[in-house]
Amino acid sequence: MAHVRVRHATKDDIAVVADLIVRLKRLNNEFDPLFNVVDDAKERATKYVTSTIGSPRSLLLVAVQGEKIIGFLRAEMRERIFYDPHMEGHITEMYILPEFRRRQLGHDILEQGSAELIKMGAEIIVGDLPARNEIGFHFYTKRGFRKLVETFAHMPQ
Amino acid sequence: MASTSPELGDKRRVVPVLGHAPGTEKGTAQEAHTTGPPRQAVVQRVIPKDELSRKAVSYSKFYGGKVATAPKVPVRSLQDFSIWYTPGVAAVSLTVANDPEASFEYTGRWNTVAVVSDGSRVLGLGNIGPEGSLPVMEGKALIYNYLGGVNAFALPVRANDEEHLISVVKALEPSLGGINLEDIESPKCFEVLDRLRAEMNIPVWHDDQQGTAGVSVAGLFNALELTGRKLEDSRIVLFGSGAANVATARLLIQAGADPKKMLVVDRKGILHPERDDIDQLLLKNKWKYELALKTNGDRLKGVLIDALKGADALIAAAGVGPNLIKKEEIAQMNKHAIAFLMANPVPEMLPSDAAAAGAEVVATGRSDFPNQVNNSLLFPAIFRGALDVRARTITDTMVIAASKELARHAKDKGLTRDHILPTMTEWEVYPQVAATVGDMAVREGHARKKLSKDELLLTSTNMIQHARKTMEALRNCGVILEPPE
Repeated sequence: MAHVRVRHATKDDIAVVADLIVRLKRLNNEFDPLFNVVDDAKERATKYVTSTIGSPRSLLLVAVQGEKIIGFLRAEMRERIFYDPHMEGHITEMYILPEFRRRQLGHDILEQGSAELIKMGAEIIVGDLPARNEIGFHFYTKRGFRKLVETFAHMPQ
Repeated sequence: MASTSPELGDKRRVVPVLGHAPGTEKGTAQEAHTTGPPRQAVVQRVIPKDELSRKAVSYSKFYGGKVATAPKVPVRSLQDFSIWYTPGVAAVSLTVANDPEASFEYTGRWNTVAVVSDGSRVLGLGNIGPEGSLPVMEGKALIYNYLGGVNAFALPVRANDEEHLISVVKALEPSLGGINLEDIESPKCFEVLDRLRAEMNIPVWHDDQQGTAGVSVAGLFNALELTGRKLEDSRIVLFGSGAANVATARLLIQAGADPKKMLVVDRKGILHPERDDIDQLLLKNKWKYELALKTNGDRLKGVLIDALKGADALIAAAGVGPNLIKKEEIAQMNKHAIAFLMANPVPEMLPSDAAAAGAEVVATGRSDFPNQVNNSLLFPAIFRGALDVRARTITDTMVIAASKELARHAKDKGLTRDHILPTMTEWEVYPQVAATVGDMAVREGHARKKLSKDELLLTSTNMIQHARKTMEALRNCGVILEPPE
């Protein structure tokens, strides 16, 4: 496989990363109908990515092979006002195109993302996943992460 | 008696007619009528389906089932039950209890196969339940018996889900020499077969996958030879991604086809790793997902017509025709193209249209056209060979060896564009294929019993001849009656 590098996203990457975000959200929907993706998800993802690139408290990395973006990691700094460790590097989204999975790219982008978040002041790294995403669960636990918060959902009648 | 004419081959090929069919794989024959070209060319050559249906219902009621267990030991007097049953039988039980493998020597296990279904996808009828599947499974058992000399019986089961079905089938192992899975919906069938193959010590076969794939590959071997191609260099398009084509793609890759030159096309278009539904496939159909990653080296996007540009061979198992594939799509293929149009009862396009559009070799699932791709050419022989060596499994290599033997048999009689496969009437092909399968099992180390290929040929020939003679004798002495009119 040709060399893959991980770099910070630029404005030129917005459209492609927005596509990948929509793919990720659709994948989440496969795990749970409460993640039903809205019709204008692409437009929303574009705004989301644009604001991320412009924010000093956010991180957006892309994995690139040649000129092609094949994955991304988005994270943001959050303050845990009642707890120590106090500053949290929170990975909100991470996605690698299927063809490029099982090649340690997820590992590489997570490592680099964690390093960047630590530079931004993170004392703890956390990541979000749909509860039923067992593949993601194994990905994180294999790398020393453990469950921290469980989110419960209920649709009122 | 129940006939074993070619029309009673694999159930996906049973009804070689246009008529008032109930639902078929992905549509209805009736729909085909409303959109299709004039159908006289097809209809005039086949038995009206209504007549076949009437006979099937009437005969089934008359006979009350198609197969039965029959004694194979003499009962000279009631005293013999002291040998065949208690107290004598206890000694046999102890022998087998001390060495469970001895069950293959001292009981009928060595030649017994259960035809198991959960009834979740029966013919083109959908999920009609285990009772609904019973007539089909009985038919399959009959073919096993007559063409393979296999003591097969129907065993539809009420299994609530995949895990339950796997658990039930695994529990059957001590009684059987092998398992034939049948009419299980996709993608459940893939998981069930893969798990059972890995976890059981007797052969497990899913005919809708392996049987169809094996015969298709056999036909393709000869079609490629006839048109001067090599498998590894050929661009192959698989249209449809159900159990049959997913299995065919996997077997073709095992046989030496270059996955990067293969394209799989389904109702959403050409399969490729960046298709919108790829993550859905990862979670719901990992077999198709793997094909999406492995195939389509050029990362082509589009629909069937795009896939067929420059293709050498098309294997369609996509749904009922005759208008599912257009002439202009076939016209995109390379010269001397190969088109396998497998849907039943009506192929994806009429063979004459495929030929008119440039296809050199055309095969279908029907007995009334040349080159019938018929599972019944393979499964009785595969199991005959596997049982004769008491194989622990049937590997893809064994299936490919069977495909090559089937292809060789047709080749020996002379390949033409209308003759790339044997027919079911060529009974001598079954022992040959059986011996090849058994021999491969021995060579791969999956056989409990080591026999030479010559011994295997003799054994399988005797077994199959015995089945045919038994049928003849039972008919001649009036035990099996002629059917009512």
